[in-house]
Amino acid sequence: MKKLRSVLSLILVASMVLALLSSCTAGADNDEDSPIKIAVAFPMTGDQAEYGQSFLLAAQIKVDEWNAKGGVLGRAIELVSYDDKNSSEEAATIAQKIVSTPDIVGVLGHFSSGVSMVAAPIYEENQVIEISNTASHPDYSSIGDYIFRNNAVISNEFEVIESLLTEDLKLSKVGIVAIKTDWGTTAGAIAADMIRNNDALTLVGHEEVVEGSDDYSLVIAKLKEAGAEAVISVGMYALIAPLARQYKAVDPDIQILGLSNSYAQQLIELGGEATEGIIFPVSFYSDPQNPEIKRFVDAYVESFGSEPSALAAQAYDSIGILLEAIKANGNLDRPSLRDTLNNITYPGITGETKFDAIGDATKNYTKLIVKDGNFVPYEN
Amino acid sequence: MMLQQLLNGMALGMAYALIAVGYTLVFGILRLVNFSHGAVYAFGAHMVVFFIGMNFGLLPAVVFGILLSGLLGVLIDKIALNPLRKKKSPNISALITTIGVSYIIQNLLVLGFGSGRKSFPKLIETRSIMIGDAQITNIQLLMLVVSVVLFLSLTVLVKYTKIGLAMRAVEQHETNAALMGIPTSFIISFTFFLGGLTAAIASVLIGSHYEIVYPTMGMMIGLKAFSAAVLGGIGVFYGSIVGGLLIGLTEALAATWFGAEYRDSVAFIVLILVLILRPMGLFGKKGLNKV
Repeated sequence: MKKLRSVLSLILVASMVLALLSSCTAGADNDEDSPIKIAVAFPMTGDQAEYGQSFLLAAQIKVDEWNAKGGVLGRAIELVSYDDKNSSEEAATIAQKIVSTPDIVGVLGHFSSGVSMVAAPIYEENQVIEISNTASHPDYSSIGDYIFRNNAVISNEFEVIESLLTEDLKLSKVGIVAIKTDWGTTAGAIAADMIRNNDALTLVGHEEVVEGSDDYSLVIAKLKEAGAEAVISVGMYALIAPLARQYKAVDPDIQILGLSNSYAQQLIELGGEATEGIIFPVSFYSDPQNPEIKRFVDAYVESFGSEPSALAAQAYDSIGILLEAIKANGNLDRPSLRDTLNNITYPGITGETKFDAIGDATKNYTKLIVKDGNFVPYEN
Repeated sequence: MMLQQLLNGMALGMAYALIAVGYTLVFGILRLVNFSHGAVYAFGAHMVVFFIGMNFGLLPAVVFGILLSGLLGVLIDKIALNPLRKKKSPNISALITTIGVSYIIQNLLVLGFGSGRKSFPKLIETRSIMIGDAQITNIQLLMLVVSVVLFLSLTVLVKYTKIGLAMRAVEQHETNAALMGIPTSFIISFTFFLGGLTAAIASVLIGSHYEIVYPTMGMMIGLKAFSAAVLGGIGVFYGSIVGGLLIGLTEALAATWFGAEYRDSVAFIVLILVLILRPMGLFGKKGLNKV
């Protein structure tokens, strides 16, 4: 009996080892007919699901365009969608799954900087290219060679806001309201430094709020008391819309400034009249004059029902630049693909995109203002 | 500014109190912390938005939304909690079940309405009332009035009506109440119905104050309201109102003195301190077996 058991267990172990080996070899051969896979890892359920779904759609529009032209390197392109629920734990698991699928060449994701920074070391170690269209934490792209960012580094956006405050609006007393996340704390601190280092500006208050509490009356009363003339909202439209509404109810003259990630149609829907006059920098806006942009916007609106955000446009461009790099490289060899990606200049709908040495794409900004319920370019 | 912050804190506290009443109602009768309350709260607001979208008109939409949330409360009890009671499972299983139910409701709302924030219609035109140099809106005053009315009518209902008598009987001993000819399962459903109603009333008022609805809107505020109920002594109606106000004011003071990032932690520290000194809450009765 005992002998039988040990024989059986030996057979079991052997079969497991065999299964493991065979799965390895099955994955390793990149046969010419199978599609080239790109992972898309975003929150698809939960609080931030709308973002993930919109990025997946934007990415899919780009992939469809390429597939219609015959794919890349003669192979079809396929997106594999993962749901990280905007949680670091999930993202770590998903990153492991992605790196153990050998035919995935790159990842578009993850959504928040904090989550991206948990997953990034896993991609770096396994030579999988990660492009985030959303992370704006200063430290994200320096995590590794394979980690790229097709979004503004937050400090660049604040430079635009700084010139807006001092040159265009000529306001000096500035308050900051930031969401209490890793990103919000870092970005808020950068904004505070910017204001402190500029003699023309005075920092009258720097408050952190928990997103999802929806009540900002307490910080508003403090900032108003301190005499704030302008308030920088460091958060998504979910922060800036109610903040504007509650602030304008107390002080109708306040100038509210946002960041590029507040550019979404929902901002106006949610904030209503209170959003009038909000100004923020963007790398993309759906300019109907530009045929490239119009083509993307039309395809997007048809599926999604509302206009794409700047972040969705960056998702579209991120897939574009990755596919362009694969085409230019001519093969899927990871290190050379990485170098190619780092060297090409891609004319996207969010402007000319080129990654610098640490993997950041420099963005050019236009300033938008909310006027009569629409986003229009801001001119002084 | 201090006066303004106190008013802000009071308004916030009224919101907590409105929700806390629902926790306290179900706990007072069934000795069950109903963690699905926050999800029913979100459900109510979404239903009102849905009915308004179907062109029901504001008032009918609000009434339907509130009634439907009451029915959802009954449904939760019938589907998820009644089977547990039949099997005489411990209270902790029912508590965990309500947490599960809240996730199911939230995710169904995400499926039906999307996860984004949507705007909620104003019930009444917002007007500011100045008190000195501080201001408060008429909706915030309405919240205050409604939570007091809710507290009064629930107290009257539980203390002075026949169905209230039956509810108290079920609270004291379910089996004996049944032996006395009280339809216990109806009474329990009725309690959940009332709980659902109060959740929806709260969400309509709070939703129209912030003009925002989204599926997870009940999470944080539900937790605070639960703390308010515990602070005031869960099971005691006026306790929820005092508890809600205390937590709201603590948050306002914490935000003023230490910064807004500390408001939650300070509110919970106060809760813990009160519970150390008075484990049954400020107005709670002794001898309750809390879960």
